[in-house]
Amino acid sequence: MRLLGDFDLAEELVQDAIVEALEHWPRDGLPERPGAWLMSTARRKAIDRARRHTRLREKLTLLVASEPPPAAGYEPEDRLRLIFTCCHPSLARDAQVALTLRAVAGLTTAQIAHAFLVPEATVAKRIVRAKRKIVEAHIPYRVPAPDRLRERLEEVLAVLYLMFNEGYLSSGPELPERRDLARDAEWLASLLVRLVPDEPEPLGLLALMRLHLARAAARFDSGGELVLLEDQDRTLWDGPGIAAAGRLIARAATFRRPGPYQLQAAIVAVHSESRTWQETDWPQIAVLYELLLEQLDTPVVRLNRAIALRWVLGPSAALAELDSLAQELSGYHLLHATRAVMLRALGREEEAANADSLALELTANPAERSLIARRLAAEA
Amino acid sequence: MSILVQFVRRIDKEVQFEMKYMLMFIDGGEGMSQTPEGQAVYARITEWFDKLGQSGKFKSGEELQPVRSATTIRFNGGRPIVTDGPFVESKETVGGFAVIEAADLDEAIEIAKAWPGGGLVEVRPCVDHSPAM
Repeated sequence: MRLLGDFDLAEELVQDAIVEALEHWPRDGLPERPGAWLMSTARRKAIDRARRHTRLREKLTLLVASEPPPAAGYEPEDRLRLIFTCCHPSLARDAQVALTLRAVAGLTTAQIAHAFLVPEATVAKRIVRAKRKIVEAHIPYRVPAPDRLRERLEEVLAVLYLMFNEGYLSSGPELPERRDLARDAEWLASLLVRLVPDEPEPLGLLALMRLHLARAAARFDSGGELVLLEDQDRTLWDGPGIAAAGRLIARAATFRRPGPYQLQAAIVAVHSESRTWQETDWPQIAVLYELLLEQLDTPVVRLNRAIALRWVLGPSAALAELDSLAQELSGYHLLHATRAVMLRALGREEEAANADSLALELTANPAERSLIARRLAAEA
Repeated sequence: MSILVQFVRRIDKEVQFEMKYMLMFIDGGEGMSQTPEGQAVYARITEWFDKLGQSGKFKSGEELQPVRSATTIRFNGGRPIVTDGPFVESKETVGGFAVIEAADLDEAIEIAKAWPGGGLVEVRPCVDHSPAM
């Protein structure tokens, strides 16, 4: 058991013990082995102090985690500790998200509740529970050891990406007052890039977020309807922003350690750098999806690859791939919406309409609902 | 920089105090299999305990008899009622436990991750009843 890390403190404790000896010995007489008496007294004082400090540390961790960040900001090291504590894998994902937004980004409970469209009491409860677990289970307030850093970084990146998607995908024209969570997540990712400069994946995530944000202006038309990538007015895209994100990807690539976020960013970059939908470099996108599958083999990645396959191998190949995912993704509206697109490309109108109807039933997002409804109306 | 943060940093440097955690090993309730594969796993578990003992982090632990040997005493409304079986019927049951000492949850998780017995391991911090404060 390591009680004391520094020599000065040990010396101080021995001095404390000597002071105690000066009080006791004249009164109670000299102990049999004065040296051993001093050592055991110093040790007892060390243990007392350690206990006091452990509890004090727990309380302080809580205070730090519950205070919004000071205006002047933490030292980088402290911010990084805080991020890893908030995103500890032993906390539930929704608690990680709420705690990170509260403690690192400085949002109020009300703002977080508003962003996720849940009651404020729910967010408050999540945060209270998470903080209690940090104390009771002794979740450390520190940056993980180097051999665990990457694994734990994955957890942090997943929290930030979920935050971003929540903001980006569910943003719609009908909720203009909703806080821009996507911007908060982007800020946190840029913070992470500064704090962990020797890792490529945070750069990949930041690039991915910035590429999405750089094209946000073209996502909705003047009537507030969602516009598919295919139909977007690319002159509305933020060219310099896209180029800057591309440079982030290039910087990440110099590490020669590709990861899921870098690859996803690269895929979005290929789309973003294409002047028109027709000029899209589909073979390159398909190759990037193959590489991504090696790192992250999930049904959703396979679904996205199928969309690229349509333009490389044709709609039948894409449809076959989609059908192989039918079981795993039966509850995912985008599977059905994508199937509808392929079926329509193959002239199978009736099946396409059925697939679109299924997709419509499965999504609550108003912008997506409207898009599918318009497609169905066009058929009728 | 906030004074709080300064404190936390200083204290972190100075002191590391051990916590007790209980690791509960959850299995299918049948006890260890007598097959050669089962015996091999058993040997690795013994090794895991030996290593833990040598590190000084092992406090106590036991392997439990299969769940069929369990008896439950319930106090519904006060009078103890004795029944056959575990407290909750489940495919997963506690097959054994170890109480360990670790600096924090991360260290306890590292130890649990090295568990060679499969199934799953629940990590629970123990309440600290030490008097000093």
